[in-house]
Amino acid sequence: MAEETLLTDDFVRQLINVGEVDLVVGLCTHNNSKTIEPIVRAIQAGILKCFPRERAAIINADGGSQDGTPKLVTGASIDDVWNASKVYALRTLHAISTTYARTPDPSTALRTILEAADLLRARACVLISPDSTTIEPDWLQHLARPIFYDNFDLVCPIYRRKRSEGVLVRNLLYPMTRSIYGYRVREPYASEFAISSRLASNFLNQEIWKQDWSRMGPEISLTITAVTGKYRIAQSFLGTKVAPGRSTADLVSVMRRTVGALFSSLDVNFPVWSTITGSEPVSTLDGQPEGMPESLRINRKHLRDMFASGVAQLETVFRSILSPPTFSELQRIATLGVGEFNYPADVWAKTVFEFAASYHRSVINRDHILQALVPLYRGRSLTFLLENRDGSVESDETREESLCGEFERLKPYLLEIWGNGK
Amino acid sequence: MNELPLKREAGWYKDSIIYQIHVRTFSDANGDGVGDFPGLAQRLDYVQELGVNAIWLMPFFPSPLRDDGYDIAEYKSVHPSYGTLEDFKNFLAIAHERGIRVIIELVLNHTSDQHPWFLESRSSHDNPKRDWYVWSDTDSKYRGTRIIFLDTEMSNWAWDPISKAYYWHRFFSHQPDLNYDNPAVREEMWNVMKFWLELGVDGFRLDAVPYLIEREATSCENLPETHAIIRDLRRKVDEQFPGTLLLAEANQWPADLRPYFGDGDEFHMAFHFPLMPRMFMGLRLEDRKPITEILQQTPAIPASCQWCLFLRNHDELTLEMVTDAERDYMYDLYARDKAMRLNLGIRRRLAPLLDNDRRRIELMNGMLMSMPGTPIIYYGDEIGMGDNVYLGDRNGVRTPMQWSGGWNGGFSAADPESLYSPPILNPVYGYQAVNVLSQRRTPHSLLSWMRHIIEIRRSTPVFGSGSIEFLYPANHRILAYVRQLGKETILVVNNLSSAAQAVELDLRRYTGNILIEMFGRNIFPRIGDLPYLLTLGPYQFFWFRLRRI
Repeated sequence: MAEETLLTDDFVRQLINVGEVDLVVGLCTHNNSKTIEPIVRAIQAGILKCFPRERAAIINADGGSQDGTPKLVTGASIDDVWNASKVYALRTLHAISTTYARTPDPSTALRTILEAADLLRARACVLISPDSTTIEPDWLQHLARPIFYDNFDLVCPIYRRKRSEGVLVRNLLYPMTRSIYGYRVREPYASEFAISSRLASNFLNQEIWKQDWSRMGPEISLTITAVTGKYRIAQSFLGTKVAPGRSTADLVSVMRRTVGALFSSLDVNFPVWSTITGSEPVSTLDGQPEGMPESLRINRKHLRDMFASGVAQLETVFRSILSPPTFSELQRIATLGVGEFNYPADVWAKTVFEFAASYHRSVINRDHILQALVPLYRGRSLTFLLENRDGSVESDETREESLCGEFERLKPYLLEIWGNGK
Repeated sequence: MNELPLKREAGWYKDSIIYQIHVRTFSDANGDGVGDFPGLAQRLDYVQELGVNAIWLMPFFPSPLRDDGYDIAEYKSVHPSYGTLEDFKNFLAIAHERGIRVIIELVLNHTSDQHPWFLESRSSHDNPKRDWYVWSDTDSKYRGTRIIFLDTEMSNWAWDPISKAYYWHRFFSHQPDLNYDNPAVREEMWNVMKFWLELGVDGFRLDAVPYLIEREATSCENLPETHAIIRDLRRKVDEQFPGTLLLAEANQWPADLRPYFGDGDEFHMAFHFPLMPRMFMGLRLEDRKPITEILQQTPAIPASCQWCLFLRNHDELTLEMVTDAERDYMYDLYARDKAMRLNLGIRRRLAPLLDNDRRRIELMNGMLMSMPGTPIIYYGDEIGMGDNVYLGDRNGVRTPMQWSGGWNGGFSAADPESLYSPPILNPVYGYQAVNVLSQRRTPHSLLSWMRHIIEIRRSTPVFGSGSIEFLYPANHRILAYVRQLGKETILVVNNLSSAAQAVELDLRRYTGNILIEMFGRNIFPRIGDLPYLLTLGPYQFFWFRLRRI
């Protein structure tokens, strides 16, 4: 029986018409009709403005939208860009779309785009989130130029964020990725990034797609692949990023895609990360991460209660995951009132590492482990938000660096518990 | 008036293929190092063999030659270096015997500053010819007028120390503009045209026509009064010399050019200047967009009129009719060496522009021959001659025709040092490598291929007079169009890419037809209801005749 193919005949036909390109801008959509049009226009303007001579195509991988998103992508007229910005197109700019499945699957979506970019021999592939309503045409330049002109293989974004946003990245994904893999990539789970043909091709050929961790979080697996493969990584300042509003249910799925993928990656990459100590800075272009001052309204009681009830209700689960001293410490924190609540960086780092080790050993169902982390993350979020509310923007950075330091300091502890149980 | 050996049927120019020649550069019969009419007459066998059926001669009138003859000092004679009026008549007769029409160049807008008219005009303010030129006490009139030769001219006014006044010139300062507001000038220029028409020439390429009239607070281009003058000339030509071609040289946007066709009562033909750079651009971009875009912007013209298409000519590849971004792109891709740039253009020949890539040269000629218009071939491009950008001005594309690998490339028996211009000598494009004699002997030479495509083009009237409809296959590297005239339908498919391409063409309206490839006469599958799939090699093109059998 013939092997199942990823790209449909119709999509291949569209790719034939596009032909060889220099730049692919990929979108992974699913019911994004409310936001997609201005984003496509910004992409078009970015291509015309920043890469007027390069051959470019916009490729959309859609996960079964019911709201007409693919048509909005392919139907976005270049004339609108011309009228709005007076940027003239030297050449044809294709926008094509394929529906890879009836339900969204981020892994298949990204793979579809990278396979298409590889077929078109694109020198760079930029991924843009269909939620990024603050996108500016210059984002393409910030992301793709380092690949075109400075031979970088992966360009991750740095954003100007509200101080209350990016909590998961700043408290777990960044510090843990940094301590584990030794590179200071601020947004290891990026919704915007650029990738070179070299890395994309390697990524596709390694069949990482067949591994759980890659299917769970394709974006973070891309970063980890770049890091472990010693590819040249840069991060580039894009500007303001506003996070889309998410429900509690979303948080669990985000945990699976991000933390789950990160934890899973540790299994296969143990030989690599176990020898790394400390961390190296990554080339940072066009600016530094910025926090936007904001007047925070924190529902402290709600977060504290979620944490405390989680610690109480999931005691059995936590006792199979965490070491007794760590769990005792969490129980102590759970007794703190809203006024004095504090989930310190060292305890948080230890908690995360113990979860990672338990995940590795699958002490209970792995998905349950991730779900159990959610209430603890709420508690850490409360501490983070309180600290950020009271401190200056500059002190945010100091605290973030301090947290990362704790993760790096405790990495030997992770190695110690990795194969030995608690 | 001479008896015309060639019947001038209406619209003859539509099915013509024009060969552009400069007498000076083509062939030297008397061995003085300069091409001449007797030399040209001797080479008409070659022109006939090439298959073209019209010649456009660049200015051959007496001139100080400070602008290669576009600075005319006497309108009714032949420059002594090129021969005599009798030599011209002899050449004309031989051309007509061979079925080749002759279009000569007439510079209406200006003369040389050595022309007797100007010498008289500048001699005193009271001279009867004073008003034959545009004089002013100040250089502040017509301030809104652009300067064409930006590299050499600071102003459109030049101070004349003799008459102590400024005179108007749109081109070089040694080329004062004639004053077409003066009826005497208009009458005299008609007399000039009549003189040559009575000798038997078949048409005029009228140089720099948009600039005949000046008016304050205008661009001094394309003015209604200019059109009135042209209409008057056309009327006289039609009445007294029917079938005479008037070809406009007006480097303008298509919409601005359209009025020069009038209601079919001004020019018969006009050069499509904006198309040419976009063909080169489309080739480099590997994208049909620049070409289809400009042709979409090209307005319809009266049925009796025709566009004149060209790839290269005696001037620089002009980039006046492109955007700044397009011009930058063209410079970077086609003229990286600044010596190749002149004014707002690129002074290079076809073959060097295309990196001497035979496939690209063929593709560009294929498009030239199949698009709606009358094609012009610049002398030497049919064998892939090179250029010499170090010769200054546009002289680098006006070097001696390369006839053989022998003495002076067969152009002249003179000492090489005495030639009007050094021939191309480099190992790639020099006359020992690129010449008519060797290419005549090779069936697969560029010259042989050009003869073949010209033959096919001439035997296919639909190319000259048919309609055009662009197909827009999703593959943007493919430029495809259907030419139609009566019951004849031709499908043209061009691959602008350096890589092989697959394309699906929507030919459902021609379902049931088979395709006959016009070069090899091979049959391709019948058109059905499904998209017609074609694969094309790098820079390949197809011409298909559609037949319902």
